[in-house]
Amino acid sequence: MKRGGFILVLGLVAAAAAYACVYLACTSSARSLQRSDKPELAWLKEEFHLSDAEFKRVSDLHVAYLPQCREMCQQIDAQNVQLKKLLAEATNVTPQIDAALAESARLRTECQRMMLRHFFQVSQTMPPEQGRRYLAWVKDKAFLPDYGMPKE
Amino acid sequence: MKTDEPGNHDEALSKVLKEWRTDASLPPRFQEGVWRRIERAQAPAAPSVWATIAHWIGTVLPRPALAASYVAILLAIGVTVGWAQGHQQTARVKDELSERYVRVLDPYLAPRK
Repeated sequence: MKRGGFILVLGLVAAAAAYACVYLACTSSARSLQRSDKPELAWLKEEFHLSDAEFKRVSDLHVAYLPQCREMCQQIDAQNVQLKKLLAEATNVTPQIDAALAESARLRTECQRMMLRHFFQVSQTMPPEQGRRYLAWVKDKAFLPDYGMPKE
Repeated sequence: MKTDEPGNHDEALSKVLKEWRTDASLPPRFQEGVWRRIERAQAPAAPSVWATIAHWIGTVLPRPALAASYVAILLAIGVTVGWAQGHQQTARVKDELSERYVRVLDPYLAPRK
């Protein structure tokens, strides 16, 4: 019984150890991505096999783009507040509402143009094959028909 | 005369039984049925599940071939489950990071401070 019990426990310990080793080995790349300074950029480097020099150029473009993005965010927020205010008091489509809707549409177009310009710049920084793959992926992500819709 | 003594009691009982007559007929194969019930009552009780497992662990598991197979199978299960869950977790993290990359760049999705 003693020997049998030992074998029983040995099997369970071996299974647990094998699970832990394989799980940790399989998730090591994900954990190192999460630990990095900018995980999303670290993911981009790994996903599109960027060299250090390519990654530096992509990171520089990313950093240069962020202030433009923030500026656009502020404009969108301000426009949304104004539109909300107009809609709260309105019972008809007034010329002011018309103008506010046109401005919202213009901002959206401007925002998409700015993003697209950035995506092209980033793709041109990558090796051609990876650049094509990046463009196909990012266009799908940011310009899908259900763009901006909440996911279920 | 002491009628309480066991010998006397048995004798009296035997006498009564010898004199006892009944016209009722026994059901078919009555005697065989009685013997079967006696045999069943005397048969040893079936061992419990735990006793069977303990017996199996004590006597069957230590056999070298079976012990090696048992450990190998559990190792394989551990490796397979670890690999499957590790891959699933990695895919989930990468998916989250890719979403985050787009969210950071898109003013309509970017988190507001």
